[in-house]
Amino acid sequence: MANEEERRVAAARRGDRGAFRLLVEAYARMLFTLCVRITRDAALAEDAVQEALFNAWRHIAEFDGRSSFKTWLHRIAVNAALEQMRRNARHESADASAQGDDDDDFLLQRSVDEPGPEQHALGDEIGRHVDDHLARMSVIERTAFVLRHAEGHSIEEISQTLSMNTSASKQAIFRAVRKLRGALQPLR
Amino acid sequence: MSTISDNDLILYFYRDGLDAGRNAEIDAALRSSESLRARYRDLQRTLQAADAAPPVEPDDGFTQRVWQRLEQRIEQASNAPRRDDWRTRLRDLAQSLLSPRLALAATCLVAFAVGIGYYAGRSSATHEASARDSALAARVLDAYVSDHLRATEGLLLTAANSDSSDLHAGNSDLAATLVDSNRLYAAAAARAGNTRLADFLRQLEPVLIDLANQPADASIQSRDGLRDYLRKTDLLFQVRATQARIDNAGKHKT
Repeated sequence: MANEEERRVAAARRGDRGAFRLLVEAYARMLFTLCVRITRDAALAEDAVQEALFNAWRHIAEFDGRSSFKTWLHRIAVNAALEQMRRNARHESADASAQGDDDDDFLLQRSVDEPGPEQHALGDEIGRHVDDHLARMSVIERTAFVLRHAEGHSIEEISQTLSMNTSASKQAIFRAVRKLRGALQPLR
Repeated sequence: MSTISDNDLILYFYRDGLDAGRNAEIDAALRSSESLRARYRDLQRTLQAADAAPPVEPDDGFTQRVWQRLEQRIEQASNAPRRDDWRTRLRDLAQSLLSPRLALAATCLVAFAVGIGYYAGRSSATHEASARDSALAARVLDAYVSDHLRATEGLLLTAANSDSSDLHAGNSDLAATLVDSNRLYAAAAARAGNTRLADFLRQLEPVLIDLANQPADASIQSRDGLRDYLRKTDLLFQVRATQARIDNAGKHKT
């Protein structure tokens, strides 16, 4: 499978559109999932995927194989999604600013019981609350959190992708988790 | 009282960003402290809840639609003008730029682009002379990009700090000129192999375009949105840092 992908990448580097199309078919949906988590908007995510793949085609000669092709595409897609958000600054929520001091502890500020049946029944509502709170995060907070939590990137990789130092990346993740914690409070 | 913060617990959860010693300390503390375990369970539930957000899947025709649009763009790009036309376009841009200073910069970049193209194309020239040409061209680019970033920094500061409509109108005009030069410098940096600078300049472009198209009577909300954006993205800091890096590199080269 990996060898097959390497062959496709090598062919695409030589300008073989058919090979590049196979790569697009393999990754487009995965890139959409990533981009929609960042943009919270299907149309923006689709535009971001389009831009990312076009940039990948234009710069595929620069892909040096030090990371996997998937990782390389991921990074391009994250930047494409961020660019879509910049172009649509209105998507930044007015509630995106940090809440409270980042260094204050926030876990267990209210007593939390083990989830009972009624909490399980609230699963859909929790999902909606979480979705709302993800949407209220700043783009950087949400992107850093998505990359760490959903995509499994290391903080070092996140810092490189977002052109931030590791401390700023950590703070973005801390703020995101703090906001996410707020999503659960009304239900407890 | 525990000295393990919630932030430490978050890093511990992901086993990322803490050294092995700190992870071991948290391990031990979790074994001995019920209150810390309770906080950790709270964190685990919080992060598990993140997975409860409903997934958004693309529709069935998504991949085909993406490829169709992509193929058109690839086709257009492959028919785009090649290097000779690129130099002509740079020269035209230089003539059309509003400011004489920017026109001078663009002209220098034409020389730079031609120099690089000539360097890449000739096979019999000595490596030494070619390297000297290339280094000179890079210094020319650095000097003008540094000026460009200084102007951009001023633009962003005005946009972020001023409520004067007159200043914003002037800022829009300046932003419009900077959009053109920004593209020019990004292309030149990419051609010179400086992808980091090229990528950063490309990141600046949407902000410059927004500022160029912002009406003088833009609403307070619109300006506040820009201020929030600048604050959250550290764009001003990044502009200054890039400018400082270029200036420092220039000092080392001379």
